[in-house]
Amino acid sequence: MKFLDHLEEWLIAFLMGAATLVTFIAVLHRYASGMPIPGLQDALIKINTSWAQELTIYMFVWMAKFGAAYGVRTGIHVGVDVLVNKLNTPWRNKFIVFGLLAGALFTLIVGTLGAKFVWGIAQTDQTTPDMELPKWIVYMAIPLGSYLMSFRFLQVTWVFIKTGELPKHDHAHVEGLEDEVKA
Amino acid sequence: QAPIIIKFSHVVASDTPKGKAAERFKELAEKATKGRVKVELYPNSTLYKDKEEMEALQLGAVQMLAPSLAKFGPLGVKEFEVFDLPYIFPFKDVLYQVTEGPIGKSLMQKLEPKGITGLAFWDNGFKIMSANKPLHMPADFKGLKMRIQSSKVLDAQMRALGANPQVLAFSEVYQALQTGVVDGTENPPSNMYTQKMHEVQKHLTVSNHGYLGYAVIVNKKFWDGLPADIRAQLDTAMKGATSYANAIADQENGRAMDAIRKSGKTTIYELTPAEKAEWRKALLPVQTEMEGRIGKDLIASIRKLSTAGGK
Amino acid sequence: MNAAIIFVLLLVLMLTGMPISISLGLTVLAFLFTMTSVPVESVALKLFTGIENFEIMAIPFFILAGNFLTHGGVARRMINFATSMVGHWHGGLALAGVLACALFAAVSGSSPATVVAIGSIILPAMVKQGYPKGFGAGVITTSGALGILIPPSIVMVMYSVSTNTSVGQLFMAGVVPGLLLAFCLGLTTWFLARKHNYPRMPKATWKERFTAFRKSAWGLLLIVIVMGGIYTGMFTPTEAAAVSAVYAFVIAVFVYKDMGLKKVPKVLLDSAAMSAMLLYIITNAVLFSFLMTSENIPQAMAAWIMDKGFGMISFLFVVNILLLLAGNVMEPSSIVLIMAPILFPVATTLGIDPVHFGIIMVVNMEVGMCHPPVGLNLYVASGITKMGITELTVAVLPWLLTMLAFLMLITYVPQITLWLPNLVFK
Ligand code: NA
Ligand code: NA
Repeated sequence: MKFLDHLEEWLIAFLMGAATLVTFIAVLHRYASGMPIPGLQDALIKINTSWAQELTIYMFVWMAKFGAAYGVRTGIHVGVDVLVNKLNTPWRNKFIVFGLLAGALFTLIVGTLGAKFVWGIAQTDQTTPDMELPKWIVYMAIPLGSYLMSFRFLQVTWVFIKTGELPKHDHAHVEGLEDEVKA
Repeated sequence: QAPIIIKFSHVVASDTPKGKAAERFKELAEKATKGRVKVELYPNSTLYKDKEEMEALQLGAVQMLAPSLAKFGPLGVKEFEVFDLPYIFPFKDVLYQVTEGPIGKSLMQKLEPKGITGLAFWDNGFKIMSANKPLHMPADFKGLKMRIQSSKVLDAQMRALGANPQVLAFSEVYQALQTGVVDGTENPPSNMYTQKMHEVQKHLTVSNHGYLGYAVIVNKKFWDGLPADIRAQLDTAMKGATSYANAIADQENGRAMDAIRKSGKTTIYELTPAEKAEWRKALLPVQTEMEGRIGKDLIASIRKLSTAGGK
Repeated sequence: MNAAIIFVLLLVLMLTGMPISISLGLTVLAFLFTMTSVPVESVALKLFTGIENFEIMAIPFFILAGNFLTHGGVARRMINFATSMVGHWHGGLALAGVLACALFAAVSGSSPATVVAIGSIILPAMVKQGYPKGFGAGVITTSGALGILIPPSIVMVMYSVSTNTSVGQLFMAGVVPGLLLAFCLGLTTWFLARKHNYPRMPKATWKERFTAFRKSAWGLLLIVIVMGGIYTGMFTPTEAAAVSAVYAFVIAVFVYKDMGLKKVPKVLLDSAAMSAMLLYIITNAVLFSFLMTSENIPQAMAAWIMDKGFGMISFLFVVNILLLLAGNVMEPSSIVLIMAPILFPVATTLGIDPVHFGIIMVVNMEVGMCHPPVGLNLYVASGITKMGITELTVAVLPWLLTMLAFLMLITYVPQITLWLPNLVFK
């Protein structure tokens, strides 16, 4: 479990950083190859960076799907809890469990639809336009991410029923500023 | 009895040549089948966007599409990229001999294993080049950042001219041209005018170097499942819509050129025969370069039509 | 009828407190399974392609840049510079807070981030100088809202994505209203400070001002890079976001050295999680608006409103009420993503400029962030000041009224919004 947690964290942090670098390098490349420096310009134009946009998009889609699962585990997904928070504890708990199970159900259905869809696309020769990767591999983000998310919802439900604790991301909290506040 | 519904989705506005042709098809189809078929049009990517419509068709979520011919390469039918080759059609006659003859038919056949039936080719016209500097000779392209849509052939074409091809989403093109993220682009005149690109491009060269067209396609399972009489009626309606599409493509391109000229914002340049020869000399190698991808025989057969049909 | 079923289902699911993204998705699934012939597999397709778009990628980039800036000591230097400029007027430190929020807003795309970055430094300092806590909280909660009006802005990117409006034009359109609102909030602050005779600071010399400016210049330069880069054609808005993330990383780690390299993975992870949450809402909102479109609901609503003879003025009034109400229960990105695709067709039919309409929505979202029960800025400020939400609500009131007046001004005087983009783009 710890391994899966780390893999998830490592993957999304990596995708975030890598996508930023790829886009940054593509911009630098376009800018530099626009400068009429003899020799260098020809060399730069020969380097093809047309895949950069596509790669960035796919990296972020994968980050979004796996990050959404990580977000369930850390309680980052926002909901309208104004009403529910006004209820007494037993009722409030019922609603929370209902919400978590609804999340598990939705992601389970989407994961299965996604798996069916990927299976269908895998029967074709579709590729992405720029990198010409098989489309079904790229679309794997949907079933993988959704099943992982469903698993995370069930995990959180289980812990909540057993301990009454809910992961809660504090959107009002930003790390690294405590020291400045004190100073 | 409830009518058979054909959802026809496309990514451009209703008042473009393709949008108008789609409307003509709806009209003809509903009349020919006496209301047994209802065509629902979804223009402007309201239902499915550029990147998802092919999958949506294969899933059966829409029944009919008219994607641009460059979209078929990623589907696994690279032969369609032949339409993107520079100077492959010296004039419209050869184009029609291809799209309405055996070559077009055999291309459409290649879609069947993908669960797609091809019904017709719709014209959008030959492309012109634009930039903020005059483009008379291939050397003028040196180092220019030229926007293309995602395509290996178009990438090779711009590189053959010495330009630096840039893939940009259609929605970003206007602002990118205006601010100078890219220096120029290629388009048929009607697209250039409706997207107001002439407002942000000082120079335009009538190069007719390449072609832009669409294929009207349907979900094969849906099409084969239609009663034979309805299929025949729809075929006839499609023929009517196609000749309308091809006629207005010419008309709209002519009208767009006039409007651009009248706006006075862009200098329009016609290539001299000598200049045109230079462009051809620079661009024809792309046809050979792409033989491995697209198919040597296919390219050769179209070239043969060009030499034979050169009236 | 279908429209009613969809909205009621969505509302009920949302009020159970489940994530907004899940309630959107479940509504669509329930409807597709039971009432239409749209193949449900298209849900899986849309969940991928809904964010398969380079413009949307500006959101994770801006979030990453913002996180590097908050961790990197940029805010502190901006506050020092702002204090040296306006600190000697009535309520000097509070005015510096408004100015610093405006400056930080010009490099960050989010409002709560602006409140945190500026507020956590300036609020303790204000209390130390003898300001009532509520006064400081009120200033910063509302000035922080400038984060989404002064470009760059994540909410503007979301509006542009759901309505196909140019991000570049929206950014440009936010400049004048942003500066105007900063001025209005500053004026309110100044009046209150003069009335209560709040402390003024010694006037800084020009040499001190220059030193403060020089120290904050690395952060201020980002304003030039983002806006300048977009309008001189160095890059597209999305690329500008990526460049600003790299730049913010460099100044945080190598120039100001307020952040160690060891912290980078954590910042990447936090930014990824925050982005993923927003992108997950976006995908489900795209799904929802797909359902709306295939049920022809926006078109039907537009037709109904035209039929009833609603004019532009009454329509905009209704829109404002609707959005202010929505601001009571939801956070801005969800509101924009759900409401924009529905309201936009009506607005364009009535001849309202798409860019102007976008700015109206953004200003509305700013107001919503500053009042309870759901108001992200308010929560953030309460976290920093340890004040209760009720107490804070009272404290925010004078500035909130200023913002409401400003909202009316922006709604009915489109020239404020459109003057600059028209100047630049036409
Ligand atoms: Na901002
Ligand atoms: Na609120």
